[in-house]
Amino acid sequence: MTSENDDMGLAMSSISMFNKSSNTSDSFFSSCWDPIVSQSGSLGGSSMASHYHLVMENQGISGTSHVSHYQSDPSFVELVSKLTGFDGGNLSQMVGPFSLPQCNQVANGNERGSTNSLRFLDEHRISKEALVGTSPNGKIRKCAPESGSPLRSCKNGDEEPVMDLSSEGCDGPREQARKKPETEQNTGANSRGKQAVKQDKDSSQSEEAPKENYIHVRARRGQATNSHSLAERVRREKISERMRLLQELVPGCNKITGKAVMLDEIINYVQSLQQQVEFLSMKLATVNPEINLDLDRILSKDILHQRSGSAAVLGLGPGSNSPYGFSPSTFPGTISGIPNKNPQFPPLPQTVLENELLNLFQMGFSGSTMDGFGLNGQLKPEM
Amino acid sequence: MDLQNLNPSSLKSRFTARFLRALTEINAPKTISSSSPREIFQRYRRIKVAADKSMAYSVRSRRIWSRATLWRLRTRSRSRRLVSFGRRASVKTRTTASHGKENKEHHGAVLGVQAEELRELVPGGEAMDLCNLLDETAHYIKCLTTQGFCVYMGGLLCEGCC
Repeated sequence: MTSENDDMGLAMSSISMFNKSSNTSDSFFSSCWDPIVSQSGSLGGSSMASHYHLVMENQGISGTSHVSHYQSDPSFVELVSKLTGFDGGNLSQMVGPFSLPQCNQVANGNERGSTNSLRFLDEHRISKEALVGTSPNGKIRKCAPESGSPLRSCKNGDEEPVMDLSSEGCDGPREQARKKPETEQNTGANSRGKQAVKQDKDSSQSEEAPKENYIHVRARRGQATNSHSLAERVRREKISERMRLLQELVPGCNKITGKAVMLDEIINYVQSLQQQVEFLSMKLATVNPEINLDLDRILSKDILHQRSGSAAVLGLGPGSNSPYGFSPSTFPGTISGIPNKNPQFPPLPQTVLENELLNLFQMGFSGSTMDGFGLNGQLKPEM
Repeated sequence: MDLQNLNPSSLKSRFTARFLRALTEINAPKTISSSSPREIFQRYRRIKVAADKSMAYSVRSRRIWSRATLWRLRTRSRSRRLVSFGRRASVKTRTTASHGKENKEHHGAVLGVQAEELRELVPGGEAMDLCNLLDETAHYIKCLTTQGFCVYMGGLLCEGCC
């Protein structure tokens, strides 16, 4: 019943509504819907849902008088078509009592399903299915919510529990296809509550992801199922995932929690890197009129053979305290003329990263010992 | 040793090859006495442009920031010769900036101020939403570190050789 469905962790309010009104078929209904509900969130193969719906209709199952009542409701077709997420195996569980093995093949793909559907569908059902179900690239699913507005009206004011989150309409299949794998993983990873079984189905469903090119999002337990909030949630998860990646890139940001501080660190880091390149090119400008072609080969070999851990080389980790004290002062906006051969670069603005960068520059440019470098010792000491 | 370092088509090798070529071009016509500050500054600018250009060319057009850098470098070089191109370039940057601001307001980012700063730092960042901006920033950071590393090593070795 309703508590059961809530325990399933889905905002499937529509199912609860159906269950409320049926007493005798409650156990049957919930038990029938449970395998469906427990399956993953991807809505592939809507044709199978229609098949299921039709199966129930054709077989005339006892105790489903309530179901037949809902069958006539066109909104139920929409709902049922939206609720499916069947593997072939799970579908066999479900249609076992109905002995329709053809449904298993239907589960494998939209287009194949459409051909299989012709075996046991009436004419008018086919037309309806063409509306609700498959299209060559599955894009019609986004347009389904428009036809699902009567569905919404007959619910208790709740929105669609499962939403197809394609990006702003039926167009842009490429973007959807690109976003799809990420979001599939996200939604698979994000389902919580008593959905351990569901997560397995999620991962297995994500293998079918390449066949569809829209994004499935499932509302989490206790969260709003508004389409806007779902889109917001997906966007926020994408952003936090990227922030996590950036956190790994920027050194010394493991302990930082919070987007604002993290962004500040990122900004500082990018600024330091850009200034570093400027400094180094300035150094090159003062040093090297004598470069020649043989040197090119030597340079490329040496540069390419160094370890690529540039962060380690540049001493940006926390461990590189330098013996060179200096007093950082404000950095002049531009680099004015440099008088001597070993330039004393103006100190950088005061951040930890930049202090360490400057340490490294001073160590390198003044030609003193190379012990401070985090290299493998392959670098020859300067003359 | 990482196999990546020996990969002939890695970012580092692509960048280094291009950068060294540009460096030789810059230094070829120089005479011996070139220690005046102005000449050094000019050479600095050319080297910096060469570094940025080589990095952007190594990434090709796969990234928004590399395309923006290349475009910016091209229009700047053109605008020095033809003033009209510069005017057109400024108009274009204005439109992209306004488009970016519209995006920002539409998404209602909570981190608007810092995102704005980041957009200024990353080339081409004005016209990106936060999600793509973070993506581009990650790749940009990776390329900047490679660039700094290679220029640094080149500088050290040149200093060691002369």
